[in-house]
Amino acid sequence: MIVRIFTEGQYRVADAERARIDELDDASHKAAQAGDEAAYEKAFGELLDYVRSHGEMLGDADLEGSDLMLPPPDTSLAEARVEFTGEGLIPD
Amino acid sequence: MPGMSGRMSTIVKAKVSKMLDRAEDPAETLDYSYTKQVELLQNVKKGIADVVTSKKRLQLQEAQIQQQIVKLDTQARQALSANREDLARVALERKQTAQEQLQGLDQQIADLEAQQQKLIDSEAAMRAKIEAFRTKKEVIKAQYSAAEAQVRISEAATGVGEQMADVGMAMQRALDKTENMKARAQAMGELEDSGTFDDLTQLGPGKDDIDRQLEQIGAGGAVDDELAKMKAELGSGAAPATLDAGAPAQAPAADAEAKK
Repeated sequence: MIVRIFTEGQYRVADAERARIDELDDASHKAAQAGDEAAYEKAFGELLDYVRSHGEMLGDADLEGSDLMLPPPDTSLAEARVEFTGEGLIPD
Repeated sequence: MPGMSGRMSTIVKAKVSKMLDRAEDPAETLDYSYTKQVELLQNVKKGIADVVTSKKRLQLQEAQIQQQIVKLDTQARQALSANREDLARVALERKQTAQEQLQGLDQQIADLEAQQQKLIDSEAAMRAKIEAFRTKKEVIKAQYSAAEAQVRISEAATGVGEQMADVGMAMQRALDKTENMKARAQAMGELEDSGTFDDLTQLGPGKDDIDRQLEQIGAGGAVDDELAKMKAELGSGAAPATLDAGAPAQAPAADAEAKK
């Protein structure tokens, strides 16, 4: 599957990594929702590092559609709160 | 299946699809986005140039303060050899303040330089992405007008659309950063111009009265030390001839200068 980290690039990651990525994504989201800066930095940092270390970066010219899309690495807690804590915005 | 992907990714993806769904004519949309991207890149470049200008201005102020420090040091020596310790003290106090200003400016300039380098790097990356986008866009347009397999086209368009959203986001963030840096450099320059830096009691926010007093004691100690050192130098008989000859005549001048 393809994971895009916005403003950074796309990575090809094995489908088996999906569960761990989702887990870290949810942890980041939860921390942002709780306004817990330290937990957010930690979870979001781990999430990005996981994708980078388990994926292979695609070239600029590849441009495939992504299965997962992650916000830019420099997304602050304040930005994450505004962008990602709207409960009910995207129905489950 | 619900709950199968992380929440953040789900939200980002939904936002991007919503944006891409607005596009009716892919060819037209791609051309428009490309033009828009090139335009935005110009703005990022201009933002970087503005930051460079702000930095140069701060460097100029830094050079002026350096000159001022040399001048105040000379004045302190002149005042001391004319037996005006009070004036020498004033000059050294001002020198101390100027040195603090210099440190503050140094920090700001180093900060601006580091951020400027990051912006230049990301500008280069964005330029490469836009170029890749341009090439891909032409391929997609050719496919589209040839009415080839629609599914494949729309798939490719999704990737390009994502890239478009990505570059757009990167540029918006770079622009915000240049604005932020410009504002900071400007604020620093304005403080300098308004003479706020000349006043030792004007410290940054978050410093209370105790901090202020402590810093004054610290500064006073440094002035005392320097005064003692200067006295020792002058008293050792190695005082330069120019000071001996010029001291009586220059004392009033130093007086006037110190009162400014």
